[in-house]
Amino acid sequence: MTAASANRRVLVARSGVLVLAVGLWLSPVPEGLVPAAWHLFALFVAAIVSVVIGAFPILTSSVLALAAAVLSGTLAPAKAYSGFANGTILLIVVAFLVARAVVKCGLGERLGHLVVSVFGRSTLGLGYSVFLVDGVIAPAFPSNTARSGVLYPLVLSVAEAAGARPGVENRRRLGSFLMFSGMASLTVSSALWFTAMAGNPLGAEIARGYGLDIGFGSWFVASSIPTLAAMALVPFVLYKVLSPEVRATPEAPHAARRALAELGPLRAPEKIVAATFVGMVGLWATASALGLDSTAVAFLGLGVLLATGVLTLGDVAKEGDVLATFIWFAVLFTLSGQLNELGFMGYLGERLAAALGGLSSAVAGVVLVVAYVLLHYLFVSQTAHLLALFGVFLDVGVKLGVPVALLAFLLLFATNFFSANTPQGSSANLLFAGSGYLSQGELYRLGALTTGVNLVLYLVVGIPWLVLVTR
Amino acid sequence: MTHGAALVAGLLALSLAGLAPAETGRGAPAAESWREFRGTWSASGRRQTVATEGGAQAAIVEISGAVVLASGEGLSRGFRGEAIGFDDGLGLSFGRAVWTDENGDRIFSRLKGEPPQTGRTIVGTITGGTGRYADLEGEYSFTWQYVVAAEDGGIQGRAVHLGGRVRKAGAAR
Repeated sequence: MTAASANRRVLVARSGVLVLAVGLWLSPVPEGLVPAAWHLFALFVAAIVSVVIGAFPILTSSVLALAAAVLSGTLAPAKAYSGFANGTILLIVVAFLVARAVVKCGLGERLGHLVVSVFGRSTLGLGYSVFLVDGVIAPAFPSNTARSGVLYPLVLSVAEAAGARPGVENRRRLGSFLMFSGMASLTVSSALWFTAMAGNPLGAEIARGYGLDIGFGSWFVASSIPTLAAMALVPFVLYKVLSPEVRATPEAPHAARRALAELGPLRAPEKIVAATFVGMVGLWATASALGLDSTAVAFLGLGVLLATGVLTLGDVAKEGDVLATFIWFAVLFTLSGQLNELGFMGYLGERLAAALGGLSSAVAGVVLVVAYVLLHYLFVSQTAHLLALFGVFLDVGVKLGVPVALLAFLLLFATNFFSANTPQGSSANLLFAGSGYLSQGELYRLGALTTGVNLVLYLVVGIPWLVLVTR
Repeated sequence: MTHGAALVAGLLALSLAGLAPAETGRGAPAAESWREFRGTWSASGRRQTVATEGGAQAAIVEISGAVVLASGEGLSRGFRGEAIGFDDGLGLSFGRAVWTDENGDRIFSRLKGEPPQTGRTIVGTITGGTGRYADLEGEYSFTWQYVVAAEDGGIQGRAVHLGGRVRKAGAAR
């Protein structure tokens, strides 16, 4: 594609987004919605579509949408900027910096060689290792965002140990494969364990109103087969689609062991980072029980790394991507949250669910799950989505005769596996999405693919299994 | 029907007949002037608490979300529902709500009942409105299907069995 035709394509895309935004804005407000909700929906949809079709980068589209929302009076400034003070988003920013320290001090290289020495005979094996590590540590992390802060340095280290770096063309797809494996892994590891995502117990609390008692054991039994099937299939699908440049590396484990030997014993900065990281992991894992704030734990870790000089102000200053991620995610988080507060999400969910009246229970159940998954394109938080729509969809499904346990589990699993559908679909995605290994187009394309594969798996494998175990 | 049963039925009929004029006497409208409605209310918001004696907590609750009506002649099919309430922690809860439709027309109401918790019921008294709802009066109630605490002090709930009746205040005069 020549530069001129590329420019023309971008111009057409931008014009299309403008027409979409203005067209939606000026079209009649649907009965039952306030104008502010409709206008904010127009801006939000235009922002997302502009990224998907390549009209603007996500940062540009987000800040333009925010400016339009405030200047048009759709959102009050205090509401519009509230995302910038959100604890989960701050946690991501700090986790980015801590991950940088892991790489900078050399500990990341050591970790990478360690993983490659065990799983490195093939690139696919490295992908599975990401899912395995995440699946094992997940039940100890009620915050999947905090867990992403543990997983990301590991994946980054493995990618670098395998020679993949952003901008290095002959290993680009290898890096993309490993980074998206990290994102995809978080979606299913959160579905595997009751305690692996903050929203899971909240959903169980809502389901209790229907006489369904979900605990750690019953959740695991229900999720085990479909989730293990997903853990087996998703890395393979990603591997086939991304087709990494390097596939079989039978000599890699040996080379990694040799490199580990050459690195020698841990150096002082590595020991500091390792101790800090282990301390953070321990506090994150016990944060709920001890009443600690996960973001404050991250700040403590960052403070230790800065105070000991492992990380310098110069290192922090170089992390410009962190600022970009912070801004666009905080903006989209706010816009989506305000759509909920203005009644748009509830209205949409109730109307959609009500439209299913008359369908058979089997069809209604499947349609409800598919619609629930698709609606995540409008959300920037798994928990917010669950709280806004899970009860509505469960209520309608039960009234239409769908077995409550079957529908509740499917919707709760969906709340986890749909999180990778967009880069903004969960705060747990951000470290991987902002790594530089994945383009915006890849993130949306792979997100749709992964979510689609998971959806089919949880319906095809999950429904018979759930019917069996929830009888 | 036995004589006893007939007597009870007769007394019941007389009692009901006796009640009817009393209602009319208080200015209640003819039955056809009331319009019933039903629906749901999904809302999110914040709950701020302060400790009280005996370990209870008093709370200010601020919520907003979608009121979606399945039926309700003369009313929009949905509203943005906003409410502010106070719960003294000892069983007293009251507040104010406003529902706004797509044209910006509003329905105001006073809330009274139990604290916003799963399974609790709130009663609303419609005290007026603007635009097409000017001079509206009526009453409604709803039950919280669930109220759960989200992150950062936020709460999210869904009210079901939202139902009540409305009429133009002038209709009975």
